[in-house]
Amino acid sequence: MVTTKIIFLTVFGLAAIWFGWRVFRTSSMVRSALSLLTCLTILGLIFFVMQAEFLAVLQVMMMATEMSIMAIFMMMFMMDPGGMSGMDMTHQKNLSITLGTIAGILVIFAIGFADWGEIVVAVSDAEQQNRDLGMEVMKRSMMIFETAGTSILVAMIVAAATALPFKNKKK
Amino acid sequence: MIELYIVLTTGAVLFSIGLYGALSQTNLVMIMMGVELMLGAAMLNLVAFWRYLHPETYSLQMFVLVGMTVMALEAAVGFAIGTQRFRTKGSVEMEEASDMKE
Repeated sequence: MVTTKIIFLTVFGLAAIWFGWRVFRTSSMVRSALSLLTCLTILGLIFFVMQAEFLAVLQVMMMATEMSIMAIFMMMFMMDPGGMSGMDMTHQKNLSITLGTIAGILVIFAIGFADWGEIVVAVSDAEQQNRDLGMEVMKRSMMIFETAGTSILVAMIVAAATALPFKNKKK
Repeated sequence: MIELYIVLTTGAVLFSIGLYGALSQTNLVMIMMGVELMLGAAMLNLVAFWRYLHPETYSLQMFVLVGMTVMALEAAVGFAIGTQRFRTKGSVEMEEASDMKE
């Protein structure tokens, strides 16, 4: 069972990295959005393998919606959404590659050398997890949850106000 | 232990790819994609910490929910700025956005 999990985690992990990398390697913006959608959906599958079923379903649902909207915005805003003209839309490439590589190496070193303590093998079933998460949301983390809800409301108002056209009142 | 290492390493690589994307792209929507990738990597780490280190601590799952909220908010506000920018300047290229500093 543990070996099966390791195989699934490795395959899904490599697939997520591959699609994450493809996001910035294709000249078609629509393909970039679909690659990101696939990458984040695979993260949802990794959540499933780690037995976090509720978060996995939430991740897949949210990312499917969000990335579809992102693909539509790509079509709206881009001069060349299909990438037919092969435009280069990057800058400071060397700096970005260096900083990305340094950050990755530092984090991997931290993972390798940190003392993670005892690893827990068994975890409660999905029904119990949902119950416990519900209790957490309604008790200790209620304030955080309420704040998140209010933030969404504020962001909706801000987004609508920002996206509306400015009216020039000067005559 | 090896399962934790696999998941955390996947998260680290995704984070570095996201950082590269956020720094190297000139288009607003592509920069947002890089940020989304970094947030996805952070959520992956949080779920791994919950599953393998503290499965009794549900505040870690709560933190993932907050992460998802942040992703949605970032997308909403980012697209709103992009829409306004496109409406006024006809482009969401960030190299042409130095006038926002003025």
